[in-house]
Amino acid sequence: MSNTIAVALAVARKDLRAEWRTRELVPALAQFVVLALVIANFGFQIDSRNAPMIAPGVLWMALVFAGLVAFGRTFAAEREQASLEAMLMTPASPVAIFAGKALAASLLLVGCEAVLLPALTLFFGTPLSAPIIAAVLLATIGMAALGCLFAAMVARVRARELLLPVLTLPLWIPFIVAGGQAVQVAMGASGTYDQALALLIDFDILFVVLTSLAARFVLDE
Amino acid sequence: MNKYEKAAAAAVGLMALAAGAIFFYAPTDALQHDVQRIFYLHVSSAIAAYGCFAVVLVGGAIYLRNGSLVADRFARAGALVGLVFTTVTLIMGMLWAKPIWGTFWAWDARLTSTLVLWIIYAGYLLVRRLAEPGRQAARFAAVVGIFGFIDVPVVHFSVTWWRTQHPGPVIVNDALPPEMLATFLVTMACTLALAAVMIAIRYRLETLADGPVAERAEVVPAVKAREAEPVQ
Repeated sequence: MSNTIAVALAVARKDLRAEWRTRELVPALAQFVVLALVIANFGFQIDSRNAPMIAPGVLWMALVFAGLVAFGRTFAAEREQASLEAMLMTPASPVAIFAGKALAASLLLVGCEAVLLPALTLFFGTPLSAPIIAAVLLATIGMAALGCLFAAMVARVRARELLLPVLTLPLWIPFIVAGGQAVQVAMGASGTYDQALALLIDFDILFVVLTSLAARFVLDE
Repeated sequence: MNKYEKAAAAAVGLMALAAGAIFFYAPTDALQHDVQRIFYLHVSSAIAAYGCFAVVLVGGAIYLRNGSLVADRFARAGALVGLVFTTVTLIMGMLWAKPIWGTFWAWDARLTSTLVLWIIYAGYLLVRRLAEPGRQAARFAAVVGIFGFIDVPVVHFSVTWWRTQHPGPVIVNDALPPEMLATFLVTMACTLALAAVMIAIRYRLETLADGPVAERAEVVPAVKAREAEPVQ
């Protein structure tokens, strides 16, 4: 067990170091989410009254598509270098490799969220509060688990850019339902925040367990 | 006529029987009038779709356990037939909703989760088409099929807690008059028989598409891979 965690941390450290040295993904994602906010500004007529109603939707749309890019990249890079095969040939368990990659990818997405949330506050004038951050971070955990599972799958498949959103987005819907509700309430809509947060935690546990069970079948292939 | 043609003819006959019951035996609803007759096929095809996706789930799980090509073919057949029945459910539902609700679509728990169900299994068929045929496609699709089946109740209940417009269950609540209940049960039995025949025919087609060579080539690596996997 401790061996699994050590391998996972080593894989995560490797991915984060590669990102730190190239500085490709997070700056591109940060630019992408800011652009998404700019486009939302033109798509909606945003003023101070309707901003709290529109902002949660824009937040989740930007986050979901940034997540797709982030998780798609983590395995695409391995594929281009054919380094995943090398990792799988080591005695390390596929589950540990998967957990490490998911951990690194989720941290990269958190880096992107660190740009998205302040930018949303800046451009939309909505509050940046602890409940919003908590909901987004909790959703990131489960989204990273599912996103990395399917990113690992589509990395071996033709037309992977097409397939990743088609497979991942429907399975992310539970997180968008609960996370969307939580952020809407935190921005002033009616509803119960605690219930949404509890749901997010339930979904996190469910999908982290399921993806770690399924990772073996996907990575082994 | 071979046995598949006979089975198909029998299924068509059964659906004609169901149509007879729906249009001539079942009484007209006092409030919704003839539109209510959509209910029989709508609910039956939803149940048939759930059954088909259960076949996908079980087939996928068996495939992941022991690499059985038979299980994988059943999963393939179930996904396609289930998608057809989900499409029927959605279209019948929308045709009913327009006169009753005044709109084709509402973002209701039941509708949303059925649409998600449709999208997930459309993705399943896409994986089958895009992945390397054989072991890779079967394994990836099995994972998608299992996650898809789990995701649906999750979506359903996560949305149920906030807003719902779709009519609640009427069968288990004993809310139907006996003639309507009889019509519904006949339609459901006929629709399930139709689904079973469609799966059987699709299974046969998948067997033919795999070919005798593929069968030998596929089963052996899958079984070997299972033996090579570390015991945990």
